[in-house]
Amino acid sequence: MPEIRVTPLGAGQDVGRSCILVSIGGKNVMLDCGMHMGFSDDRRFPDFSYITRNGRLTDFLDCVIISHFHLDHCGALPYFSEMVGYDGPIYMTQPTQAICPILLEDYRKIAVDKKGEANFFTSQMIKDCMKKVVAVHLHQTVQVDDELEIKAYYAGHVLGAAMFQIKVGSESVVYTGDYNMTPDRHLGAAWIDKCRPNLLITESTYATTIRDSKRCRERDFLKKVHETVERGGKVLIPVFALGRAQELCILLETFWERMDLKAPIYFSTGLTEKANHYYKLFIPWTNQKIRKTFVQRNMFEFKHIKAFDRAFADSPGPMVVFATPGMLHAGQSLQIFRKWAGSERNMVIMPGYCVQGTVGHKILSGQRKLEMEGRQVLEVKMQVEYMSFSAHADAKGIMQLVGQAEPENVLLVHGEAKKMEFLKQKIEQEFRVSCYMPANGETVTLSTSPSIPVGISLGLLKREMAQGLLPDAKKPRLLHGTLIMKDSNFRLVSSEQALKELGLSEHQLRFTCRVHLHDTRKEQETALRVYSHLKSVLKDHCVQHLPDGSVTVESILIQAAAHSEDPSTKVLLVSWTYQDEELGSYLTSLLKKGLPQAS
Amino acid sequence: MDPECSRLLPALCAVLVDPRQPVADDTCLEKLLDWFKTVTEAGPSLLLLQENPCLVELLFRVLKAHDPHPRVLSFSLRLAGLFAAQEDCFQYLQQGELLPMLFGEAGPLGGAAWTAPTVRSGWLQGLRSLAQHPSALLFLADCGAVDTIFSLQGDSSLFVASAAGQLLVHILALAMQSPAEGHPSPQGCDWPACAQKIVCHVEDSLHSTATPQVTQALNVLTTTFGHCHGPWTQGLWVRLSPLVACLLEKDPIPASHSLMDLLLSVARSPVGSSDCGLWETLAQTLSHLSPIQAGPLALGILKLQDCPQALKTQAFGVLLQPLACVLKAAAQSPGPPGFPEGATGDSMTVDTFLSSKSACVGLLCQALAHLELLQLLPQRPSPWPQAPLLRAAVAILRFCNGSAAPTSDVGGHLCAVLAGCVRVQRAALDFLGTLSQGTGPQELVTQVFAVLLEYLTSPDSSPTVQVLKKAFQATLRWLLGSPKAPSCCDLDPHTQLFLRELLPVLRKRLCSPCWEARDSGLEFLTQVTRHWGEVPELTRQLLRDPESYVRASAVTATGQLSSWGLYTTPTSPEHPEVQQESLFTELLHILSTDSEGFPRRAVMQVFTQWLKDGHADVAEDLEQFVARVLQVASRDLDWEVRAQGLELALVFLEQLLGHPGSRCPYAVALPEAAAPATLAQVLQALCRVQLFEFALRALFDCDRPVAQKSCDLLLFLRAKATPCGGPQEAGASPDVVSVEAALQRWQAGEQGQPLGELEPEAVMAVLRSMDLEGLRGTLAKSSDHIEKSPQSLLQDLLASVGVLGENEADCY
Repeated sequence: MPEIRVTPLGAGQDVGRSCILVSIGGKNVMLDCGMHMGFSDDRRFPDFSYITRNGRLTDFLDCVIISHFHLDHCGALPYFSEMVGYDGPIYMTQPTQAICPILLEDYRKIAVDKKGEANFFTSQMIKDCMKKVVAVHLHQTVQVDDELEIKAYYAGHVLGAAMFQIKVGSESVVYTGDYNMTPDRHLGAAWIDKCRPNLLITESTYATTIRDSKRCRERDFLKKVHETVERGGKVLIPVFALGRAQELCILLETFWERMDLKAPIYFSTGLTEKANHYYKLFIPWTNQKIRKTFVQRNMFEFKHIKAFDRAFADSPGPMVVFATPGMLHAGQSLQIFRKWAGSERNMVIMPGYCVQGTVGHKILSGQRKLEMEGRQVLEVKMQVEYMSFSAHADAKGIMQLVGQAEPENVLLVHGEAKKMEFLKQKIEQEFRVSCYMPANGETVTLSTSPSIPVGISLGLLKREMAQGLLPDAKKPRLLHGTLIMKDSNFRLVSSEQALKELGLSEHQLRFTCRVHLHDTRKEQETALRVYSHLKSVLKDHCVQHLPDGSVTVESILIQAAAHSEDPSTKVLLVSWTYQDEELGSYLTSLLKKGLPQAS
Repeated sequence: MDPECSRLLPALCAVLVDPRQPVADDTCLEKLLDWFKTVTEAGPSLLLLQENPCLVELLFRVLKAHDPHPRVLSFSLRLAGLFAAQEDCFQYLQQGELLPMLFGEAGPLGGAAWTAPTVRSGWLQGLRSLAQHPSALLFLADCGAVDTIFSLQGDSSLFVASAAGQLLVHILALAMQSPAEGHPSPQGCDWPACAQKIVCHVEDSLHSTATPQVTQALNVLTTTFGHCHGPWTQGLWVRLSPLVACLLEKDPIPASHSLMDLLLSVARSPVGSSDCGLWETLAQTLSHLSPIQAGPLALGILKLQDCPQALKTQAFGVLLQPLACVLKAAAQSPGPPGFPEGATGDSMTVDTFLSSKSACVGLLCQALAHLELLQLLPQRPSPWPQAPLLRAAVAILRFCNGSAAPTSDVGGHLCAVLAGCVRVQRAALDFLGTLSQGTGPQELVTQVFAVLLEYLTSPDSSPTVQVLKKAFQATLRWLLGSPKAPSCCDLDPHTQLFLRELLPVLRKRLCSPCWEARDSGLEFLTQVTRHWGEVPELTRQLLRDPESYVRASAVTATGQLSSWGLYTTPTSPEHPEVQQESLFTELLHILSTDSEGFPRRAVMQVFTQWLKDGHADVAEDLEQFVARVLQVASRDLDWEVRAQGLELALVFLEQLLGHPGSRCPYAVALPEAAAPATLAQVLQALCRVQLFEFALRALFDCDRPVAQKSCDLLLFLRAKATPCGGPQEAGASPDVVSVEAALQRWQAGEQGQPLGELEPEAVMAVLRSMDLEGLRGTLAKSSDHIEKSPQSLLQDLLASVGVLGENEADCY
């Protein structure tokens, strides 16, 4: 029995380090190759030694697919391709291919150069890894090999994020990566067609949450920034170079424009230009509003947001600064934070998740006295705000996507076990499909019923057409033929052709049935009565009374005989070939009802 | 344990067992365990538990909890295991009957939490830590743990199943080492009960008809022979080898991969060298397996250090089979392919080739990869059939690009199957590249270059840049691997002809719309330019490429060309010096204006190399060169550029201080460097190029590596200056005061005004007064060493209780 097997090496009942192995129709595909920002040793990467014990990775895996550029989905890729030794194809969308190396480079800097970690991937490795990437367009069917094909669908979430359909023969799996079912300020909503996959693997970050509108969060954010700037304070927003930063930039830019604010907004990294360049380049990936206004004005050409110079941090007066890295774990953002932390007029807004062991995590958990180098203590008086702008589908969105794709089974990843449990029940109840939630290392096996393509002979089809009726998808018709399996091919041909091809002679097979009639007359008379009855009922058929006394209707032969024990009963012997089976059984049931009384 | 940690611990334990306070971050528990591991490894665990009774209490409370969180339960099991690894501590925990409650039938084993793989995994890891001493063995036997481990070998979680297998090996080894049992005989009749039990289980599994069970047993044995080398392993093999031999007789062979792993593991262990039967078994297995299965085994055999020659020959034959087949299929006229006997393209391989496309592709890729690996090994078979291998690689590549004209049926089939197959092309190009290490008859080398040129030219290589990149790599290896020719004139005519034909191809590739193609082309050029002087114009155009990776490669290429004096443009041959000047200006312009880091970093690397090499134009006005570069680099937002600036400053410094032969082999080339310039002159020069200001500012850079480099540089300078009897103490001169004030401002993070003109004496006085060693010590620590400390972890755990709940899942 063919089967689909799914084993998460990461993202099984957890968030971070997404890496899911799928075996489908004899092909092995790895979905995402993420890292966990919370670890700084081997544990940050999935344990790739579990992919196969037998032979080389490149021989085993048919391809790797990356859903989007977030590090928990692509952070282990250079390690996997350049250090573990995977040398096969990697698929991702074009924006992901362009942006991925920027984030990887950012991460490499922190890991290797700032923390002094050895045995890590280099810039050259990132580049070499990116050269192995095959970029895919949305809705383009990409043939990985003769049997395996993949297709990308728009996923919202971040620029270039995609869901992927993986198909081998008639079997298919859809992997959503991270997605968002509601459009936001710069991206549209995820969409997939009714592709009815055998399995839908969906993220479930907000499995139990119905999120409030993003508008509220945005308003809240703008209010806080505005208030701080109005009272002469400085606002620090630690971000990663790409993604959230651009969204917030658009937000502030339009707000500044509308309110005619004068306080400067700075972006502290040289990467902005490149980031904005990509957003401009990939305008088709953004939402409709941005695409429409693009003709008059490019939303990513900011009037109010300027490049930051290190000297600006000491300038008096209000300002807003976007600085990297996003968790306040090193570099520019941390330096500015240290300078501004002492004043209650200032504010730091953390727009994303921070892992344990970073200053961002500490201040978000309410710690206000931070130990710094040399036993110094930094007292944090500035206001600390957390704003979640993450763009995942909530419970409603996930249900909506399941409804859209109509899968036979659902598998939940990228979420917390307890929340998944809740969603699993909901999905099973509402859609009557099986739902799975394997932990990391656990394998889910689904048997699939294979559909095997069969070629139909032209002769058979023509004969079918000759019966007059045109084919109609809504009215399936029965077609009789003989299935020939030869040279690993399946063909449906007429039985005559099959006999000819296989060199066999035909056996005639007749079905027979006895019908008892109460009739005291002689057999010949009974036969005659049968003849006239059928002649009157079956006007469209050829009914004959043969000289030997038997009656025929097409190939059906009816003979009357006396009952051996009961002279008042006659036995009708009905026999027919299998071609006339329908008519045969109809006649039998007709005769069983008895003959009309002679008038 | 740190007193502050000890103080925080009770509160933390209370939080961990409180079901209303879910642990926010799943990495925290892992990190806590890491910390406990270092603590228990550093000192007596017993003392730790006695001083911190909250720890034992934590374990009790987790056990009593109605519905403990699986993560916390798993954590507790692992923690208990860590403590119980020391025998006295084990006894201490036993007194409270804690261990049976945790690991025995009454524990989580029977509870609902057992369904969570993390709990099962924690249980195994706990036992793995605990099983370190004879008491632990008794405990394992008493609480029936071994049977549970047996069943966990077939667990639904890969991680759990694998950990169970490894734990069995660990227990077996522990039992066999146990001094209480004396030295067990290799035969096994007096083996400890625990070991007997495990071995019997393995035997039963090997008898089983269910393949998963056989696989588990084989994996356990493979690990055993891989890790344990005691004399008892000999007895184990004697006892089990008949069962293994039985498996080999079955058709099909069950768990063949695991079986091969086991045979190789035994062959590598001391057991292997004393068992002649093993070689026979290996030979037999090789001939039984299908070609695709036999490949890894053959490679494994060829990697063995001591192994009979006959077996090696057989194994090599297996690896060569597919290529022999290809050669046979490609042959225009019948003749021996030139492989050693035994590799003649047997019918099994031909059948595999013909059976399906994926089987054919799989077998070829595997064979090519294995031979590539083998070629690099010192123990590769000798004589190495270089010529037929080359012919085979070329033939495969020709099948793939459709330029082969097969005459046989198999050839026709291969043509159809391999046409355009990217996987095989990549593997074959890699292999061909590796073969460049050997030589070949000229006629073959010509064929190699011809097929490489076909691949570099073919538009079919573009959509999958991987093939083009590999073709470039292979070409490069053939060009550079050629034993002749460090420069163009020494090249043999064939290579020169090839290079000439390559030029138009490269020209096309460097204009490819695909950045990957342009960049691979440039990388190739940079490597190959030492053979070839016609490329400067091509590379110069790419200095303005829209893709930063390509610009960076172009910078490197032009920089290198210029170093070799090859950077002259045909447009203005009458003014070469103007052109040279313009390259420096051009690169400096890139350094000051390029919006992306890669090209700017590349420029700094080129400049540093120029300085090291004594590049003619740099030497012309050394100080101005350094001053201008440092000025631009100091303003750069990318810290790697600033760090590179310091690198350049260090080279400059070394040259000025002039220790030819020691640290700076190129310094002799410089006019002033060799002269015994007085220290005062050197310091004057450093002041003129404003190196001090650059370095001192960098000392307080927010990016640690920059500060670290600067600190090293200043320490180097101070060390050089002091013994030579530098300038007199400047005391608290106004200059010194102003420098110190500026330093304080920079340290506080302010950028402030530039220092302007400096007196060397003042700078040296400041340097002497600074605690640079102390600073270096601080900088050597990772940038998050405070946040990573155990106190910080405990504080974070306590602080995040109830706070981060909502943020937790909000990864990005």
